[in-house]
Amino acid sequence: MSYIALWRKALHKIGGHFGGGVQSYFMFLRFLVVLNFLSFLLIAGFIFIPSIVFRSTSNSNMTVDSTGPEACRVYDPNLQGLVVFYQYFLDLLSGTGFMEYSYMFYGYYNNTVAESSGFHYNLPLAYLLTSVFYFAFCLICIIARMGSALRIAVATGSGAAGSYSKMVFTGWDYGCQGYRATKLKQKSIHYQLQVDLEEERLQKKALSLTLGQTVGLCSLRIFLMLVSLALIGGAFFGIFQATVFSQAKVGAEGILGLFWVYLPSIVITNRNFVVPFMCDQIALFERYSPSTTIIMALFRSVFLRMISLGVLLFTLWSQITCFKESKDCQLCQYNNKEYPLGETRVGQEMYKLALFDFLITIAMLILVEFPRRLFVDHCSCALTRWVGRQEFLVPPNVLGLVYGQTVVWTGALFCPLLPLINTLKFFILFYCKKVTLFSNCRPAVKTFRSTTSTIFFLVVLLFGWGLALVAMIYSLAQIHPSMSCGPFRSLTMMWSIVPKTFYTLSLTTQDFIFYMGSQAFSIPLFIFSCVVLCYVAALAAVYGKSVDLLKAQLKLVSDGWGEKSYMT
Amino acid sequence: MGTTASQLGKDLLSEYQELTFLTKQEILLAHKRFSECLSKEDKNLPTPRVPMEKVLSLPELKSNPFRKRICHVFSTSDMKDGSLTFEDFLDLLSAFSDSATLEIKSHYAFRIFDFDDDGTLDSGDLEKLVNCLTGETDDTRLTPEEMRQLISNILEESDIDKDGTVNLSEFQHVISRSPDFVSSFKIVL
Repeated sequence: MSYIALWRKALHKIGGHFGGGVQSYFMFLRFLVVLNFLSFLLIAGFIFIPSIVFRSTSNSNMTVDSTGPEACRVYDPNLQGLVVFYQYFLDLLSGTGFMEYSYMFYGYYNNTVAESSGFHYNLPLAYLLTSVFYFAFCLICIIARMGSALRIAVATGSGAAGSYSKMVFTGWDYGCQGYRATKLKQKSIHYQLQVDLEEERLQKKALSLTLGQTVGLCSLRIFLMLVSLALIGGAFFGIFQATVFSQAKVGAEGILGLFWVYLPSIVITNRNFVVPFMCDQIALFERYSPSTTIIMALFRSVFLRMISLGVLLFTLWSQITCFKESKDCQLCQYNNKEYPLGETRVGQEMYKLALFDFLITIAMLILVEFPRRLFVDHCSCALTRWVGRQEFLVPPNVLGLVYGQTVVWTGALFCPLLPLINTLKFFILFYCKKVTLFSNCRPAVKTFRSTTSTIFFLVVLLFGWGLALVAMIYSLAQIHPSMSCGPFRSLTMMWSIVPKTFYTLSLTTQDFIFYMGSQAFSIPLFIFSCVVLCYVAALAAVYGKSVDLLKAQLKLVSDGWGEKSYMT
Repeated sequence: MGTTASQLGKDLLSEYQELTFLTKQEILLAHKRFSECLSKEDKNLPTPRVPMEKVLSLPELKSNPFRKRICHVFSTSDMKDGSLTFEDFLDLLSAFSDSATLEIKSHYAFRIFDFDDDGTLDSGDLEKLVNCLTGETDDTRLTPEEMRQLISNILEESDIDKDGTVNLSEFQHVISRSPDFVSSFKIVL
């Protein structure tokens, strides 16, 4: 695949200087860039380009119908003639004004059904199916990548027999030429040896604990787990309050208005910095091995981030569809006074989250990391020696990536250009992080194994995907689409476009699809897939057994052979 | 060497080709590079020797951490100064070539790693070996603790007759289980 060639030299250099752990972060970032770009191509091909074509041609073949009460169909996106110059900048940051009624957001797309000779294109159906397929495509990519990473992890093994002597005797590449390449190779061998020795030491220490010490360690860990859960619970409550407050203040003008509008994003990003930092401090007391510490930190922080995003979505939707049965929602089944186009509002929130996340990362780079390096390099007081240069911490950075990607997945249904924005964002982020890595960071004193961590990054990414999937299913199945604009304006539910189109298909196709869904077909299919699953599981068990047998045989051969040579 | 310093006779070339794993082009290229290393006076000697410093200045060997050991292993000089004749040089390239067998490569690798030339790899040899692999400067070496742990692990894994050293057969046993040793033990001009 073409992405193998992208940034290969840079990754090699990073791996040589900073070890496999940091390199795995950059490889994960590269994977996300490619995933977003391919998703954008998918969305562009099926939604974006047909929309542009239909808009520019707009002949009488297209049907644009809208039903519903007159009051619900009113939508004025505030296209003023003359605006204050900084209004454009504010609009760019918050997705309102000139950006709101554009290809960026859901509201601009029409529910056109184009029919010319032999060519039939149903844009709402395409919009829906592309979004669903986008999720399936991302899932397949993640699972494929997890599969290949698992295969590598199983093949290399965690401390296979003879790994130290193999590494030392056969580790050097004699074709390595040049001072730099040699130094890189030496550094990576050094890191590899250090990692393996460290893991072994910790394993030995864990095994040698007495019963009392083990009990004490376990209870300490449980206590610290409860503390971190409490921290996370407190964070949720804060975000909920901030979102409600922000929605109440919508409509305020100027910079203060921008602040209110960005308040949920600010609160979420603050939490995202503060709580993982505190979780890291907690992790120092838990005394796990380096790999396990990373994984625990990841899982803890992921719950925080994902569920804070979920709380934001929940409050947004509850405001738009008024769960509390106020009379605002009686007429159009949604709050059309404050949210004439609720989907665009959700898209705007996701856009703001993504943009704010990016701006904060860049600001941290410029305002914190570079000054820290300058401070440490040019002042030689005791404080600078204690603070020292920055270390590139992988878990918070990976969390940032997973969070950004989840925001994109959640918002893609309402802001179709979000994958493109995310591709650009991650692309620029790669170079920024690389610059800060080489200029400001020192190599980690401790590092961790990269093969298992790659798998865990992907597992965490799947959590984010799952959350976005729940949000999407809820939007498709429960929310009443806005009646003023958007591709689904004439329907009671977004999903109902599928049954509607289904009944226009020919009778034989309908019968065939009904048959596929009926019991006569699905039960044999289910039984067949169970049989295949059992076969594959049995095969895997047999392979595992034969690997163990071969290992035992190898040991026997070396022992017996040793005896033979001893006797001769 | 041949009749003139700048050309290799045809039958000598084919003789070299039979005795080593190198092809004719590789031998001619080696001859050219070897002649470049010779100083003017040495060119007229019957068996000129290139001093070790000149050999170490070749770009293929310049940054190799094992370069001094390689010169010592392939040198046939009585003074043990690491200087190479052309035939020593060909032996070197032959052992590091594409077509050399696993036994030849592992044999020479063992001799290269045997820093004290006593025929076995003991803890001192292993320590020097690991230092070459990680770098000679203070901040790239392993700590004494880590070195001790690593050497005891290596001996536990590869020392089958438990005599505290790794001999050639035990070394070759480890090598045989590593599939990419042959491709990494390669120097091509």
